[in-house]
Amino acid sequence: MIGKSTLQSTALRRHAPFWFSIFSGIAVWEIAGRSVSPAFMVPFSTTIARLWQLTVSGNFIPQLVDSGKLFFAGFGLALIIGMPLGLLLARIRILRVGVEPYIMLLYATPMVALIPFILSMMGFGFAPKLLVVFLFSVFPVLYNTVEGARSIKPELIEVAKSFRSSEWALWREVMLPYTLPYTMTGVRQAIGRALVGMIAAEFFLSATGLGQLIMSASQNFDTGGVFASILVIGLLGVGLTRLGLIIEQHFARWRQ
Amino acid sequence: MAEQALNTAVGPAQKTQTASGALSGAFMPRVITGFAILLTWELVVRAFAPAYVAKPTTVILAIPKVITEPAFLQALGSSLAAVAEGLAITIVIGTVLGLLMGRSTTFDRIFRVHINFFNAMPMIVVLPLFSLWFGYSSAARIATIIFAAIFAITMNVADGARSVPREYLEVSRSFRSGRLRMLTDIVLPASMPYLLAGFRLAAGRALIGAVVAEFFLSVGGIGYYILYNSRSYHHNEAFVGVLLLAAFGVSFELTVNWATRRFMPWYRRDEKTT
Repeated sequence: MIGKSTLQSTALRRHAPFWFSIFSGIAVWEIAGRSVSPAFMVPFSTTIARLWQLTVSGNFIPQLVDSGKLFFAGFGLALIIGMPLGLLLARIRILRVGVEPYIMLLYATPMVALIPFILSMMGFGFAPKLLVVFLFSVFPVLYNTVEGARSIKPELIEVAKSFRSSEWALWREVMLPYTLPYTMTGVRQAIGRALVGMIAAEFFLSATGLGQLIMSASQNFDTGGVFASILVIGLLGVGLTRLGLIIEQHFARWRQ
Repeated sequence: MAEQALNTAVGPAQKTQTASGALSGAFMPRVITGFAILLTWELVVRAFAPAYVAKPTTVILAIPKVITEPAFLQALGSSLAAVAEGLAITIVIGTVLGLLMGRSTTFDRIFRVHINFFNAMPMIVVLPLFSLWFGYSSAARIATIIFAAIFAITMNVADGARSVPREYLEVSRSFRSGRLRMLTDIVLPASMPYLLAGFRLAAGRALIGAVVAEFFLSVGGIGYYILYNSRSYHHNEAFVGVLLLAAFGVSFELTVNWATRRFMPWYRRDEKTT
């Protein structure tokens, strides 16, 4: 009994600053929102009320689903293409050495700059938006996988070969354990980028999903709607980033 | 954030290592691959795409025309000035915030959650809000740049300030130095490599922030130049702008790497991971 209550109190002590910080943030937001014009900023309570209104009126959930589809389709495509391609590059050294600098270049290029081209070549619709999310998220996966491939000591492969290990065993025992943790770092980065790509696609290509929700709110000077959408997108960002970290850390246990 | 800074700092160091070992072997495959990529692009566009779509030969031909065009130079100047201004403000505020967060537990507890929230948020969602607040103006662009860049610096500086060796602080305390001097003379210099890593991240984001803001707000600059030209089917001209952006992204990276090696030669981040 005593043990349990001390356990609870340490848990409380550990989480207290977190909740205190959240509530004080909300309090500051509430006070600031009440003291300025509602055209400029609305308090937390109004934001939540507006979010509830949007949910009840059926404007919010379909948009969320719409954005979710775009996100998972684009991000999934990036994984399906990025991971095998990265592993292929990891195995075939000459290919990796050749392609490496270009992957780095594309990794560093701000992909948003390509959106106008995609717009004028592919127009509106789902495909161009999918392409945008894909382009935002595929290069972190590729870049980090190649980085992982570079970290494999050549001796390991030599030893495996001199023991006449099969190609399959080489992959299972050497290639995957060494590259996968890096790939997962790429996956974490890709999650964040895919989210940016999703919003960018919804802003600058055809307006759909959460992007449309926030755009139309801002055009109607519905500040409450703008804050509600930003809050939701922010929370999505936090949740997905957290997920990415968990995935990365799960695989990081392999990493030496 | 710490491991992100680590990752970004590790990459180039490793690369120089491997590059010096296998430079002669790597050069030819790279050139050949480059040519292959350009050739494929050229042929695919020639075969399947309409004539206005950018392809390597026409982009190269457009370069001299674009870089002497006054409208382009003006756009470039406008964007770079905004990025520089935004980054200057960001470095000052971000560093101060980061130092406070790194050295004061109270401060860290109050702000960590919120900074994490804003950092995880895709920065472009603030554009509609900033357009409400600042109008469709260059002030909104500066605000976007600051918002895009500041958290990268704050979080890195906080990590750096937290990792200052305890002995340094103890020595300075036993010499009776004040809190402020300890921050400026010991904590700040000791977290300089982290500041630089944060700056590299921030500079890239600031550039993206500027481009996105120009798309959204129709403020004149390199992003708007790209948007305008690709809308009017001048893809080659617009693509020169993209190339320039990529060049800036890479040159930020190289400059910070060079600065780290030149001014902090004792600093070896890769030792931790290898």
